[in-house]
Amino acid sequence: MIFAYDPSTNPLNNNEWSFPLLECIHIAGFTLSIGTIAIVDFRLLGLSGGSKPAQLLKETAPWTLFGLIVMLLSGPLIFSSDPAMYLANQSFRFKIGAMVIAILYNYTIHRKIALANASPGVNKLVGLVSLALWVSVVAGGLFIAFV
Amino acid sequence: MSIAESIQSIGFLTEIRESSLVYPVIMTTHLACIAVFGGMILMTDLRLLGLAMTDRTVTSVVDQFRPWKRVGFVIMVTMGLLLATSEAEKYSGNPYFWAKMVCLALVGVHALIFRPRVYNNTATMDKAPSLPGVAKTAGALSLILWLSVLTMGRLIGYYEGPRNPQAYQTRQPAVQLTGLGRVSR
Repeated sequence: MIFAYDPSTNPLNNNEWSFPLLECIHIAGFTLSIGTIAIVDFRLLGLSGGSKPAQLLKETAPWTLFGLIVMLLSGPLIFSSDPAMYLANQSFRFKIGAMVIAILYNYTIHRKIALANASPGVNKLVGLVSLALWVSVVAGGLFIAFV
Repeated sequence: MSIAESIQSIGFLTEIRESSLVYPVIMTTHLACIAVFGGMILMTDLRLLGLAMTDRTVTSVVDQFRPWKRVGFVIMVTMGLLLATSEAEKYSGNPYFWAKMVCLALVGVHALIFRPRVYNNTATMDKAPSLPGVAKTAGALSLILWLSVLTMGRLIGYYEGPRNPQAYQTRQPAVQLTGLGRVSR
């Protein structure tokens, strides 16, 4: 045990409602962040009309960031309810790995290509990888409860 | 045999319930759809409230997201039905499940009221000097309703059955429905 910390003292474990409601906030946060990224992805994939990818990215970026902040505040709080269990959980490790890659990818390659007038082929590849990464994060999160 | 029992004893629903992989995979699809398509609902609502994508007309935002919101809704409902019917006994006794169904029914009422006035009437919204109150009302109510659906959906997993140990003991624990996300507690 690397944490000199007793989770049973955590208010999250001593109140019937705080943990489930925190999860709801977490889900709402990632719906906003992943959902707004997916809007850009659908455009990159040529599956929706509307503004050009660059314009769409600018319109959604503040909401993506807001969602990410909610996600990154609620996530560690959820983690704090039982760090040892989460650290030992394969699905949690997968999720964190996928999430780090997905965030880095979002603010580097994804952003660059969406802002550039890239060819349809490149756009499609970048949009597809983005969707795959974020769906992996969600899947990893859900499977924490099943592995 | 109760209705719930007969529903969940249908062959493939029994298989879903008893599989250690299929049930969570369906649940993952349900949740991934929320993540991928939910943003379109949120952004439409925020546009109607005048908070997001204000450089564009309401028409352009509503039209861009509408077809994909429908696709997402169909996948989500299909996955939800599989989850609920494969565990019909548990879900039918779960008050949060029914609260979620009521919220979804209210989403339907919202559509009946606001579709003709807002979503199918976006040209009028765009011509108005400022966003009409009816658009803001539609956006705000939609936001509240969908967040309620989400919250009730998550709480389904925390309901531990009636506070009567004998009634609870007679149930066969199949896939762990209670305590999702709280493995070690």
